[in-house]
Amino acid sequence: MDIRFSPEEQQFRQHCRDWLHDNVPAEKRPMDAADAIDFDKAWQQRLFDAGWAGINWPVDYGGRGLSIVQQVIWLEEYANAHAPWIGANFVGVNHAGPTLIMNASEAQKEFHLPRILKGEAIWCQGFSEPGAGSDLAGIKARGRIEGDELVINGTKIWTSFAHVADWQELVLRTEEGSQRHRGLSWVICDMHAPGIDIRPIRKISGQIEFAQVFYDDVRIPLDNVVGGVGNGWKVAMSTLSFERGTGFIADQVKQTQEIEELLVTARATGAIKDDCIAEQLAQLRAEVAALRAMTYRNISQVVRTGQPGPESSVIRLFTSELGQRLERMALLLKGPEILDFSYGDDDLVAEYLRGFAATIAGGTAQIQRDIIGERLLGLPKSR
Amino acid sequence: MDLTPDSDQQAFVAATADWCRDNLPWETARNRPHSIWHEIEAMGWLSMTSSDMGLDHATEALVFAELGRHLAPVGMLSSAVASRSTGSAGNAALALTDGEDSKGKVRIFDPVDTSRALGLVGSMAAIMVLPPGIAAGPGLDLTVPMACIEPAPDFTYLRDPVAPLHLQLLAAAFAVGTAEAVCDMAAEYAKLREQFERPIGWFQALKHICSDMAVRAEVARSQLLFAACALDAGSSDAAFHVASAKQLADRAAIENGRANIQVHGGIGMTDEAYPHLCLKRAHLLSFIAPARRSVLLGEAA
Repeated sequence: MDIRFSPEEQQFRQHCRDWLHDNVPAEKRPMDAADAIDFDKAWQQRLFDAGWAGINWPVDYGGRGLSIVQQVIWLEEYANAHAPWIGANFVGVNHAGPTLIMNASEAQKEFHLPRILKGEAIWCQGFSEPGAGSDLAGIKARGRIEGDELVINGTKIWTSFAHVADWQELVLRTEEGSQRHRGLSWVICDMHAPGIDIRPIRKISGQIEFAQVFYDDVRIPLDNVVGGVGNGWKVAMSTLSFERGTGFIADQVKQTQEIEELLVTARATGAIKDDCIAEQLAQLRAEVAALRAMTYRNISQVVRTGQPGPESSVIRLFTSELGQRLERMALLLKGPEILDFSYGDDDLVAEYLRGFAATIAGGTAQIQRDIIGERLLGLPKSR
Repeated sequence: MDLTPDSDQQAFVAATADWCRDNLPWETARNRPHSIWHEIEAMGWLSMTSSDMGLDHATEALVFAELGRHLAPVGMLSSAVASRSTGSAGNAALALTDGEDSKGKVRIFDPVDTSRALGLVGSMAAIMVLPPGIAAGPGLDLTVPMACIEPAPDFTYLRDPVAPLHLQLLAAAFAVGTAEAVCDMAAEYAKLREQFERPIGWFQALKHICSDMAVRAEVARSQLLFAACALDAGSSDAAFHVASAKQLADRAAIENGRANIQVHGGIGMTDEAYPHLCLKRAHLLSFIAPARRSVLLGEAA
């Protein structure tokens, strides 16, 4: 065991650092949604042109085909350089793209993957429904096959970037009367198709970042099904395992920055003299260090066996709750000033409020605990 | 960068687990025979960490976590550190001084067939010469004989600056082992014990207690391995990483120890069952080279 990187990896790290130093935009990502989308697309294009988009994506589809360790180094340096949040490209780059790499036809990959990497096509997700949250297999939105078309009816919810997206990764019930995980399909839906109605939803932070999407006889080509009709559950799950590899690197670096900033604040205000606060900060600093250790262990496991271990669900749960503890501490140190919060501001209060999503979206903390209990400890399945 | 054990390390851990199953069964945990120390010496545990053996801290951490799982004698911690730092292998009892100074009461653990004890005095490691024929009996931790000496005997500081970190790392490894052992114990019980006509582990209320135990153990083990590697690599922040490992391991061992009693219900309250032995061990470990807040906050010089 060794925590040191090889000379080649260190050289790669320096290369990342130099480029980021010269290229990270000085201006912040705009708050306004329309401005933000232009910003996100321009930044993604810049990353692509310099060869930094899709570091571990196959070369044939515009990626670099490098190792997962190099991907980790890039993500660490990216966060260290305070480079912009990936924003509207999040679903395409981190979710839809990997799913397509693993499951799509050649034609689908050739068309979509370069567009995702270049920031030309924005994607959104269509998994959750009002009646299918934690119980994702309860999906009701249906796609009726008519000739070489799918006719879509139903609704999806919690869809981030729905109003700016070009494409949607949509899971539908394509076999009438099918139950649970059977009869579902993962399809590429054109968000500009007639019959789609998007209703924005305001969050507790005051921001409008997600929406409910309604489908009224929306017609898309049957060719847009990925991984075969009826295999939707398998395709959707393959993404989740990909997601759990390097998905936590940025969080881990961000949380390292956050705890150090909290320490600076606590020293400046004298709050650190409070024994209770000092003890909490000490614990948080140790936990943030452990998150890096866990992430490195997980990556080492992927390098050695090609698969992240079931411990990935432990990292996911731990990261999300640790992030919330840090946000809560930031609030505590701020004191009654938080009462002056102005809706629309993107400050630590907004971050605290948005942060509740960490233990709800993409599998609640309770579902994660079920997975840990059942897959890691072998306890009987409750569902 | 690689934080997974290689095949040699895996073999070493497997051999340790085998030895523990044969020599440290749960049935004798609270009354380990004196002869266990002959077994320990015969197996080479006491000389394993001497500097000429060249064993790295990463391997040590893996092996001591396995020993900790079986509530191995805590005297193995002090013996391992003494072996590396003094160059003389052989048993050394574990000394816990009362607070920061060395004048008051000192508690000696596992004073078996030895005339020396190792512990921290302030933030330095020190060796004490034990008076002959001290009587040891059970304290809170029923698995370890303890003697109290007041005032503390004379001591000499160890020059090796790594010695305190070494003790902290190995004690953290024991605590990680304890945290993992009780997590497994709780999960096994939750699969067997039935109420409302199903295993209690079926219920989310119980399942999630077990999941949280697994998370604490996993977090603590990860930081332990990282800290051991930081010490091996001579990193400038090794002291912080070892302290973090100890902080998280102690918390995991105590919180898991408590949760395990809760999962066991009434049985957990009985002297006869094993859960209380682990909780009491966790409390003892938390006093051995505890993490200093100034180090965790990056304030220590």
